[in-house]
Amino acid sequence: MIKSERKPLEEIIGLLSGYKKILNVGCGGCSSVCLAGGLKEVNDLNTMLSLTFQKDNVPFEINGFTVERQCEMEFLSELDSMINSYDAVLSMACGAGVQFLAERFPDKPVFPALNTKFVGVNKDIGWYEERCKSCGDCILGLTGGICPVTMCAKSLFNGPCGGPQDGHCEVDKDIPCAWINIYDRLKRQNRLENIHKIYEAREWQDQIQGRIVLEAYKDRYIVEED
Amino acid sequence: MSIKNEKEVNTNIIQEMLNQKKARMKLSLAACAGCSLCAESCFLFVSKNQDPRYMPSYKVVYSLGKLYKKKGKVNWKALEEMKDLVWKNCVLCERCYCPFGIDIPNMIAFTRSILRSQGISGVYPHTLGAPEELLNEE
Amino acid sequence: MYDLVRGPLLWLAFILFLAGIIYRVVQLFLLTRKKETARYSKNIIKKTEQNKRSSEEQKFKLVLAFQNSLIGKNPVMAIVSFTFHLCLFIAPIFAVGHSLSLYESFGVSFITLPDKIIDLLTIILLACTIFFLMRRIVIPRVQSISTSYDYLLLFITALPFLTGFYAYHQYFDYKTVITLHIAAGEVMLIAMPFTKLGHMVFFFFVRIFVGSEHSFGKGKRVWS
Repeated sequence: MIKSERKPLEEIIGLLSGYKKILNVGCGGCSSVCLAGGLKEVNDLNTMLSLTFQKDNVPFEINGFTVERQCEMEFLSELDSMINSYDAVLSMACGAGVQFLAERFPDKPVFPALNTKFVGVNKDIGWYEERCKSCGDCILGLTGGICPVTMCAKSLFNGPCGGPQDGHCEVDKDIPCAWINIYDRLKRQNRLENIHKIYEAREWQDQIQGRIVLEAYKDRYIVEED
Repeated sequence: MSIKNEKEVNTNIIQEMLNQKKARMKLSLAACAGCSLCAESCFLFVSKNQDPRYMPSYKVVYSLGKLYKKKGKVNWKALEEMKDLVWKNCVLCERCYCPFGIDIPNMIAFTRSILRSQGISGVYPHTLGAPEELLNEE
Repeated sequence: MYDLVRGPLLWLAFILFLAGIIYRVVQLFLLTRKKETARYSKNIIKKTEQNKRSSEEQKFKLVLAFQNSLIGKNPVMAIVSFTFHLCLFIAPIFAVGHSLSLYESFGVSFITLPDKIIDLLTIILLACTIFFLMRRIVIPRVQSISTSYDYLLLFITALPFLTGFYAYHQYFDYKTVITLHIAAGEVMLIAMPFTKLGHMVFFFFVRIFVGSEHSFGKGKRVWS
């Protein structure tokens, strides 16, 4: 899932200065799972903000409401009835959710409380690691399930760079060399020939806004052009 | 001509799956004291006006608990009700808190896999943009 | 009747109680396993931003911990439950009557508390039981999940204390009441490990040993 991390408190306080009544919207999706922006985190942040502003004698009121997901307009409709009484909105969803929230309420300033970090996995409770950079052209089938874009510091495609020492990356000795791992994995599966395939230069596809329209739905949205 | 309205429930598969995790699941269900302290940890319970049907223990007791109580012998209608409990009423955000430490998300996930074994799965999203074929089935 | 209840049945109750507790602990050990936690080297963490934030949040740690604890979220329930459990353990262990029985049977006695205090604890406990009962009937979310089994167990828990109270104050026929008291205690002892009253074992084992967001400590075990 998308793993995010809460911004430092000072930064959030800076974003909210000058606003008196804030709605803190949590997200029950990815943010909840990575313990960054769920119901509990919304309440905790509200407490911290209230106490901080109170200490400085600044008038400040913040209420929390957690929706199922902020990346769906249907679920944001729950907020329609309450949004008008607030000066600004703080969102504890990933960047996608924040933007949908801002799109739905274009007249309200919307601030992100989280930094969206990566697409990753749960190693253990509270420990998340990146596994995917959403490059848009997955080659995991050829690399034995290890992503060179994410796991190699240089995102190399054709084997190790010659820098690894003791199986670790020359960039950081705490990081294992992805290509050595790929080699071991493919060897284990008797698929080493994959490593000999020369990949063409990668055409980086994720530089502009990504869009997917599923085949089954294309008819709904196509507009006749003449 | 007879019209078969009821879909077939494959009780054998359900019983097999229930047996696989019997010890742990039955212990968890037995340990539930019905204290309802898990309620406030579920954001759905909190945002749907404290509707008891969103309480984590309610969701588990009336889905997995019911499956174990009836030893897997449930009809299709019961499975459909469970489907709503574990898919509509729960997003598996895994944040529910039980003072005794009962692992509620695991039980919901297990119920989901039992339902999937019967060909039942959550329609996603519930109303927005679901393909016509799936909507007609409901 | 009294002799049966006071003698062999009491032995049976204690044996089943102890055996049951051991059974539950073993069961929990068998259902969990030690997990192999991967370790990261501290160097990796130093390089990330996580350290930057810890100093500013320390001052909120206590407030948030309190707010997220049981007493922060459901203060009434937390206080009543704590009081209830406190009385539940202190009253039987330190009652004079029980110490006398122990002396009668084994020639050893146990430290006791004054009768008036035990009496007070019993009344407090019974009041807490009434609170639990009303809570189960009145609050919709608790009522939605309550069955006759829950009410029965509450009754089983209250009965020894109720009959003990009557026996001490010598209401009704003493012999009958005391026999009932011992029998009620036996029923509760046997029920403890094998019903949801066994939450006492479950709670300590799972919250301490099994890892989760809410575990006390590191939680090195995991459900297998």
